[in-house]
Amino acid sequence: MSLLALAPMLAVLLTGTAALLVRGWPRLQRGVSVLGTLGYAGAVGSLCWQVVSGGAVVYQVGGWRAPFGITLVADALSAFMLALTAIVAVYAVVFSVRFIDDRNQRVYYHPMFQFLLLGATGALLTGDLFNLFVWFEVMLMASYVFVAFYGNAQHTAAAVRYVVLNIIGGVLMLLGIGGLYATTGTLNMADMARVLADPGGVTGAVVGLSALIFVTFALKAGLVPFQFWVPSAYRAAPLPVVAVFAGATKKVGIYAIIRLYFTVFGNADLSVAVPGADAGSSIGFLAPVLVLMGVASILVGGLGAVTRDSLDELFAYSSIGQIGFIAVPIGIAAASTGSLRHLGVLAALVFAFHHAVTKGLLFLSTGVIRDAVGTTRLSRLGGLADSSPAFASVMLVGGLSLVGIPPLAGFFGKLFVFDAASRRFAVAAAGTETTAGAAAILLVLVVGAVLTILYSTRAWMGAFWGGQTEAVVRGRIDPVEVALLSTFAAVVLASGVGFEPIVQFADAAADAALDTDGYVDLVLGGERS
Amino acid sequence: MSLALAATVGVLFAFGTFLLLRDDLVKVVWGLAILSQAANVYLISMGGITEPTGDTVPVLAEYYAPFPETADPVVQALVLTAIVISFGMTAFALALSYRAYQENETIDVTEWPQ
Repeated sequence: MSLLALAPMLAVLLTGTAALLVRGWPRLQRGVSVLGTLGYAGAVGSLCWQVVSGGAVVYQVGGWRAPFGITLVADALSAFMLALTAIVAVYAVVFSVRFIDDRNQRVYYHPMFQFLLLGATGALLTGDLFNLFVWFEVMLMASYVFVAFYGNAQHTAAAVRYVVLNIIGGVLMLLGIGGLYATTGTLNMADMARVLADPGGVTGAVVGLSALIFVTFALKAGLVPFQFWVPSAYRAAPLPVVAVFAGATKKVGIYAIIRLYFTVFGNADLSVAVPGADAGSSIGFLAPVLVLMGVASILVGGLGAVTRDSLDELFAYSSIGQIGFIAVPIGIAAASTGSLRHLGVLAALVFAFHHAVTKGLLFLSTGVIRDAVGTTRLSRLGGLADSSPAFASVMLVGGLSLVGIPPLAGFFGKLFVFDAASRRFAVAAAGTETTAGAAAILLVLVVGAVLTILYSTRAWMGAFWGGQTEAVVRGRIDPVEVALLSTFAAVVLASGVGFEPIVQFADAAADAALDTDGYVDLVLGGERS
Repeated sequence: MSLALAATVGVLFAFGTFLLLRDDLVKVVWGLAILSQAANVYLISMGGITEPTGDTVPVLAEYYAPFPETADPVVQALVLTAIVISFGMTAFALALSYRAYQENETIDVTEWPQ
């Protein structure tokens, strides 16, 4: 059964390699890529089923015992993130076949797409800190190629900036990992959690060293002040890949923050007194950092999105803002203990799920517009609702979910985030400390929600209402793309209507994220007994 | 020994950062390569050179009565991996720089479009 943890990685690795081998036969290559991604989704699905029904799966690579070899751990948290990656990946790859023109697909599009997925999957499954660095690099290597994919002046310039930034990020992560290895003497995350939980052990330096790794995670997630690569990279890369960037690879950064701080440092005594955080929280130092970065992301992303002219840039800024909505509850969780900590992580995971499917849908819809009209500039769009009512309703579902209208997925995301923030306010009000911080968080969340409504309305009115512009009249919306996306819109709708199983899955994922002892037993226990 | 390593890491980081802040893209790529190497030297020094015992070098336990000084093999494995990655990254960055130069007709990054 433990081999099941390997299945998603094997699926994409084999598909990527096969797609390279058959590159002389473009139709076959596309078939291999689509079928392989469906196989990947199947593997992720059966892994999720196994994790939910039978408990977490651990695979010791090469049969080496846990602290010495590399461990793959598929617990509920990893499975949850893999599930949303798989949903976005399937739609992105099928959409690519239709969207990317044939000659561009014949280059290395499909193999690179699979290797991008491989990097994300590996990062989500590994239980070893250095191995996490390696999977990050695999993921980045593929994403470099995609940012430079179209190869014009603007794309190569964006790619160079993206590469330079991420290589520096990689160097910082190496520094953090090396330092943590020197202080704890291990690289295995479960073993590190065990060493750090030991009272009287080395802890002081860990806070500073983890900050170096945190910078890399925040860079990957695109949190302010590490957000400046996002708009130019998202404008340069092919839109189906941007859907995967926004939906899946950004979430890997969020996942890594949750895994490192809540699971690995969960039992450590890293008590640094921080105002506004509960005294019992061992990672209170993370709270002001993440909350400030989240709040800044919400404002920068929201204000940026309101002022942009092209749809892809608007959604790129929107994703900076939405990542802020994920970071704030994680910060609240870091400041809290007990049930509020659980609620914070749960809110972040539910919002991450919503953002993955909703933003995936919106970026792919932007692709439909680019394909049909040749531009995504709002000043040159208008009246698309008259050209294709079906497509307009697909985009409407995405837009309403982003705003957070019930019963769509976005409503529950926002509900949980506001719930966590208001409970934090209640905790602060009940205690002796000042409530100004918690009140400010709530205020920014409301402002962020209002900005979301503003730019979603602006995108909708600019593109779909009004008279048809000349470009729209000449353009023709591809019905096959619209049919595909309407099934995706149905997924967004269904995940809001049938929300119960998703919140249960997210609940199990939050439990797994916070259960440090369980994680240590899972990885080290079985091998020792 | 650790002082020499610390000084080397410091000088490499300083020099790499200096190059990274140039306008000239080729110098920036050089800066990245030097930063990566600085991180590798740092990693090696993190493993430390320890007083050996039979536990740390089981292979030598039967042959040497006084063990020779040994370095931590784990960090060497890490550095080996990091060298390969930074080699690939530098090669890619150079190729991309050339392509970006062809498209933008200058290697001065401040003159590129936003």
